[in-house]
Amino acid sequence: MRSLLRIILAAMLPLATISWARAQQEEETKPAAQGANEVEPLPEEYSCMFCHGREGTLAESDDTKHLVVTEEDLTRDIHWQKGLRCHDCHGGNPVLDAYVDHRDDPDFLGRVIASPADIAKSCGHCHSDLVFMRRFAPSSRTDQEAEYRTSGHGQRLETAREEHAKALEQFKEKGGEGEPPVFEAPHVATCVSCHGRHGILAVDDQNSPVYPTHVAETCATCHADKDLMAGLAFGDPPRPLGHDQYARWRESVHGKAMLDKGDLSAPTCNDCHGNHGAMPPGVDSVANACGTCHGKVAKLFAETAMKHKFEEQGLPGCAQCHGNHQTLTPTDEMLGMEKGGVCAECHKNKQYGATLAGAETARAMRSGLERLKREISEAEDKVEEAERLGMEVRGPRFDLRQAVDALTNARSMIHSFAAAPVEEALNEGLRVTAEVNERAASALAEHTSRRVWLAASLVPIGIVIVLLLLYIRTLPIPTK
Amino acid sequence: MSESFEPPSRRNWLLWSLNTGIAATAAAVFYPVVRFLWPRPATVSGAQEMAAPFRVNQLPNAEGNPFNFGGKPCLVVLSADGAKRLARGEPLRTDDVRAFNAICSHVDCTVQYRPEKGDIFCNCHDGVYDLNGRNVSGPPPRPLEAYKVTLRGEPGQEEIIVSRST
Amino acid sequence: MSHAAHEDTPQGPRLPQRAWAFLFERLGLEVAQSLAAKKTVPIHRCAPFYFLGGMALFLFGVQIVTGILLSLYYKPSPDQAFESVRAIMTEVEYGWLIRSVHSWSANLLVGALFLHLLTTYMMRAYRPPREFTWFTGIALLALFMAFGFSGYLLPWNQLAFFASAVGTKIAGSVPVVGEKLLLLARGGENVTGDTLARFYALHVVVFPLVTFALLGVHLFLVQQHGMSIPDREARRHGGEEKVRSMPFVPHFLLRDMVGWYLALGLLAALAALFPWELGEKAEPFGSAPEGIKPEWYFLFMFQALKQLPPHVLGIEGEVVGVLFFAAVGLAVLAIPFLDVGERSRRVLNYCAVPWVAFIIVMTAWGWFPDHLRLSVLLGTGLSLGMLVLTFPFLDRGGPARRLVNVLGAVAVFIFIAVTAWELLV
Repeated sequence: MRSLLRIILAAMLPLATISWARAQQEEETKPAAQGANEVEPLPEEYSCMFCHGREGTLAESDDTKHLVVTEEDLTRDIHWQKGLRCHDCHGGNPVLDAYVDHRDDPDFLGRVIASPADIAKSCGHCHSDLVFMRRFAPSSRTDQEAEYRTSGHGQRLETAREEHAKALEQFKEKGGEGEPPVFEAPHVATCVSCHGRHGILAVDDQNSPVYPTHVAETCATCHADKDLMAGLAFGDPPRPLGHDQYARWRESVHGKAMLDKGDLSAPTCNDCHGNHGAMPPGVDSVANACGTCHGKVAKLFAETAMKHKFEEQGLPGCAQCHGNHQTLTPTDEMLGMEKGGVCAECHKNKQYGATLAGAETARAMRSGLERLKREISEAEDKVEEAERLGMEVRGPRFDLRQAVDALTNARSMIHSFAAAPVEEALNEGLRVTAEVNERAASALAEHTSRRVWLAASLVPIGIVIVLLLLYIRTLPIPTK
Repeated sequence: MSESFEPPSRRNWLLWSLNTGIAATAAAVFYPVVRFLWPRPATVSGAQEMAAPFRVNQLPNAEGNPFNFGGKPCLVVLSADGAKRLARGEPLRTDDVRAFNAICSHVDCTVQYRPEKGDIFCNCHDGVYDLNGRNVSGPPPRPLEAYKVTLRGEPGQEEIIVSRST
Repeated sequence: MSHAAHEDTPQGPRLPQRAWAFLFERLGLEVAQSLAAKKTVPIHRCAPFYFLGGMALFLFGVQIVTGILLSLYYKPSPDQAFESVRAIMTEVEYGWLIRSVHSWSANLLVGALFLHLLTTYMMRAYRPPREFTWFTGIALLALFMAFGFSGYLLPWNQLAFFASAVGTKIAGSVPVVGEKLLLLARGGENVTGDTLARFYALHVVVFPLVTFALLGVHLFLVQQHGMSIPDREARRHGGEEKVRSMPFVPHFLLRDMVGWYLALGLLAALAALFPWELGEKAEPFGSAPEGIKPEWYFLFMFQALKQLPPHVLGIEGEVVGVLFFAAVGLAVLAIPFLDVGERSRRVLNYCAVPWVAFIIVMTAWGWFPDHLRLSVLLGTGLSLGMLVLTFPFLDRGGPARRLVNVLGAVAVFIFIAVTAWELLV
């Protein structure tokens, strides 16, 4: 059956080529980029599609169906829109009358993707070529392949490849009998795992799997899969990879900011772990990762003794107290030695070399915060009361903001892990609350002055009433 | 003034003091009414619109910036062009003077104007906004709310009228 | 004042007299003077109740003056209303005084009107030829309650907004015309800036004009027919003609003035010691805050409506309640025609007692919705107080006094019982 088909195809070739060439002349003038939603009809004589197209030969049989690529997949692909075609990535010659079987075409063979390990090289063929990429996206990076090789995924592939090479060598040394060891690529992410294979969307396309709002989901396809992550470990000493990172991140303040509030600048997986060179940050670089956005507190932390102690003990900096994936909005309860205080975790039992002096500092900071909060709340109540009584309190209320600012500032200063800077910030706030209290009190006093006015005005009223009554008495008694 | 030789009757005295008393209470009522009617200087109004407590020539380092605009702090900044024009004594154009709601979009601290760096800075967590109010660095997730600015008065020392819609 | 106390000086009349004479000749004031001289007020046991009408008039005058003053600063639009009231309370000099006086005086005014209604009812002042005085009076009462309702919305705070929404909704539950009434009142489906504008126009222009007209008729009729003398008093003195009377000017007027000065002092005290609250700015799209209620003079109806079951004989409970009160209102209006004889008179008089008690208890309960016992205490206390006040005006040994004794005993009993229950349980 197949040979009959080939005979027919061969017979049609001359006719097909002529009409294709004519059609090409007309299409020459069309721009390379197409609208994302338009399905551009492919020229029927485009040789790849003869077999790999939806109506092609490979679509008929179940065991070759997976090799079929549809027009939709191709025409929404950013590469297709820029004018690249199948042969630009896969090699070979698309011209029908120059058709050569893949297995015999050296151009194709040089670019074959036999296993996931070859994918990065295949993509990198163009994406690491600065001169080539400059034609299409002058400001885009060209080090993705190099980054990938340093990533957890890339390293695992590299290790597997090395082992296979060693096994192959051993096999050859032993005489080369029987089946040579087959390279089994470990199940890791490669370029196509995240970006797709055909139908790759631009990174800034909202439907792309690597659009900021989708990045975590994309990572989670593997990293939230219990079975895939079973038995995987990282680091020294090795720790299990686990599969709860997505769920935790989703609940965190960053996950909520990104997905619920639509804040695209919120951190997702790649912001802390790196893009193509994805690795968990080391113990000494967690603070740097967080500090990309949380500059002030990271700077404060970097200057403390705690930072070195943490590194010595292998504690992950910010994540020790704030968590790594499930970072929640910090509360005042986290500070101090009471229940819910993260300081207590180490300082209570002198774990990791924590000191009792540190515990005192923690207590002092917390009680200072609570004091300022109390003062602010009292000042607010006074202002409210004055307002309720009808006094002008916009000024004091406005000034009270400064006290709240001071409280927020003090909360940042906690990360200096010393009582003095925190106290300084708190004192700013206390100064303001004292002033506001005074002004509210004077507003209330004004209210009192109204009572004085009242008393003063009731006096003439009272006098007039008395006089009226007296005068009425002097009137002649009516007789009729 | 009575020229009569009759001793002033009780009623006479009573009537007189009554009239005085009524006049006194009338005055006590009249006084607050007049004070009420008299227009007052525009203070911190519910404020859809008010003038900043400083003039253009006091920028960029004016005192009282940010100021209280209807209960919220309002920051007035000069754009880069505006600062240049002001320094050279040239007339300012619209958009040379800008006003923003000075409440940081991160955790509501009050931001400050840094004319020497040409930006708006939030001291609480080192958030930075550019002179268009756009958040450019640090934790703030959103830009600052912008108000409309009108300059009014003598060129060189105009009043800065800030207004917002509802 | 044409008193003999001001004697002419040897040089001729004093300045006040000369000024008066000047105006007198030119403005035709002899008409006014003769009317004033003719007007007399009968003196009898129930005569003190005559002060209530004048008191209401005085308070209305206060409302007009303070209202005009407020309108100079108030801005009737949803974004500015609350802020303008706040500005009045905190920035305008003595604004707090004017505004609080306006609010307190409104309540005192309606209170005075209720008492005026009650006393004219009990004294049967609506007897011929005074039916139209009664009709205009009832219309004026309705008008003043409408004044109160429309004014209540103007500060545009949470309480005002939702109370107006609920009030207009209840008006909308009247069958047949209810829906149209609601749209007309609200100026749309919901309470919006259109409602505010509408209420403001009504409060400041329409109602005052109608009031002036009605009040003019009411006072003219009072002037025309003179003060009514209750039957019993007439009998006691041996006939109406035998009842002594005092000239309005100066005797009654000066007494009126005492009352007015007392009211003025009271208003000043209330404004300074209990300034009217600003509340929170209305949030139309938020949910209604807890505990919204209308002003106290609507409270008894509001509370009564709340007690009705959802359906009564197949008709919505609310509709039944509204119709009931409407029917009562019409009945009150038609009282002059219902009071035809001895028996009907007795019935009407006795009807008043439970009705007043109902109003007092319902109002107290509406004020303290979660404290039934407290409101019962308050209600019985107030009822007792009213009974005590009426005591001196009733005939010694008469059936009315006996009834009052019985009711008083009942009230005292309830009061003691509930107090004991409150304290011990």
